[in-house]
Amino acid sequence: MIDPYYLQQLAIGLSLGMTYALMAIGFTLIFGVLNVVNFAHGEIYTLGAFAGLVLISAVAPPIVAVIFGALAVGALAGFSLERLAFKPFRRFTDEASLKSRAMRESTLLSSLAVSIVVREALEILFGSEMRSLPFDYLINTPVRIGPVILVTGDFIIFGVAAAMLIGLQYLLTRTRIGLAIRAVSNNPLGAKYVGIDTDRTIITTFVVGSMMGAAAGILMGLYYGAIFPAMGFVPGIKAFVAMVMGGLSSIPGAVVCALILGVAESMATTFVSSGWSDMVAYAFLILTLIFFPNGLFGARRERV
Amino acid sequence: MSAPLLAIEDLHVAMGPQEILHGVQLAVPQGSIVAVLGSNGVGKTTLMRAVSGIYRARRGSISFDGQPITNLPAHRIVNLGLLQAPEGRQIFSNMSVRENLVLGGGDVGLGELDRVLGMFPVLGERLRQNAGSLSGGEQQMLCIARALMRRPTLLLLDEPSLGLAPKIVAQIFDLVERIRAEGVSILLVEQNARAALRIADHAAVMEDGRILLSGPAAQLRDDPRIAEAYLGGHVH
Repeated sequence: MIDPYYLQQLAIGLSLGMTYALMAIGFTLIFGVLNVVNFAHGEIYTLGAFAGLVLISAVAPPIVAVIFGALAVGALAGFSLERLAFKPFRRFTDEASLKSRAMRESTLLSSLAVSIVVREALEILFGSEMRSLPFDYLINTPVRIGPVILVTGDFIIFGVAAAMLIGLQYLLTRTRIGLAIRAVSNNPLGAKYVGIDTDRTIITTFVVGSMMGAAAGILMGLYYGAIFPAMGFVPGIKAFVAMVMGGLSSIPGAVVCALILGVAESMATTFVSSGWSDMVAYAFLILTLIFFPNGLFGARRERV
Repeated sequence: MSAPLLAIEDLHVAMGPQEILHGVQLAVPQGSIVAVLGSNGVGKTTLMRAVSGIYRARRGSISFDGQPITNLPAHRIVNLGLLQAPEGRQIFSNMSVRENLVLGGGDVGLGELDRVLGMFPVLGERLRQNAGSLSGGEQQMLCIARALMRRPTLLLLDEPSLGLAPKIVAQIFDLVERIRAEGVSILLVEQNARAALRIADHAAVMEDGRILLSGPAAQLRDDPRIAEAYLGGHVH
């Protein structure tokens, strides 16, 4: 019989991993299409959480409306982010510049700049300290399953992450817009020759990816009960690590690695103090880069 | 004589400070095959990309079906029925053959699928396969088939024979004639001048970003300058 302690840690780890997965899905989607890292994804997460806070304190709507509000803010934020930080560097339409290093590095910095501006603006507006969300909205009612205690939020996060993954898979393989996203990801020049409006497809990708990031933000806010302007930073790093471990542009790979990361972190707290658990992610990142430069799942996979 | 389907007038195209096309003049009459010949680097692909809206024109005009299309975005030009099977094929190598064809159909949908697969039976056998796993000739066929899914009125073919075995090249050129027989006008860019002149009605020779000479294909076939420069007048 396994010690219930480890079962509990496993459950906590899976739940933690799911929250990383929620972030990683949107992150990987955007990377897959543009081949650029979107450093502002963590701030989209924060914006989703703060949009929820503002909605709750202003009109106190039912929780479903709070989540839809966060999704709408995420969509708007994704759209603006693309126009502000990515579009200006896409003036040249030939294949070489679309995937060139200069393009990648400039948008790396422009998205980082947007993320800093957003974080500072939120600090000016809301202050940098933790803000707690009203107790009635929280999703942390304990649920006991045998020896393991979970909270309702664990199930909600699991459900939302699974729904997003399945929904996204459906979108990417069964719908016109999803095929266009994959086509642009696979061959941006070829996409132009079949009549795809690549500009619009890229915006759509940002909108979809950012809605997922914002949903993750509000769910985590409701799960932990507190939000703050810098809350997106650590999950952003974890999502980045999961993406790299998963092979950079494989969404299922990123999800699996996010779960591995979550479980490893929660197990690590058995041996080291919890303040050190973030080191697990960095260690994984370094080990992955050294031993599995193509990600844990080896060979090249289809992008997105 | 009625207005040509595609009319290019005094087209100038530049990449940054460097001008590549210096005033190209070319017309594709309805229902014909026009071949543009010339060696590597004279601007043939630049011309094709400018017509498809991938590159912008610095000066001059392009009109299609009586409508100006100069500097229209690429996807709008596709919607007008001007399709291209581009150089390097530019297929979606990570996606299935079927998905490539679905993307080719775009707004028009899959109405053409059966007819296109009738022309390219080999693709029908490989619908679920990744496009990247096809042979070079099959990839070229997929590239043309993908363009045909939109029911084009004008098809641009940029070096369809590049890198293919002679037997496959003959097959591709047979297909080009069949496509024309179905009422699609064709603008063909080729280095394989001999094969291109065999099927073309009109031909133009490009050199250094300009059209050097043009006329009926039969006439160019007999032109000693063409024979010398492009048909291997000298002994190999």
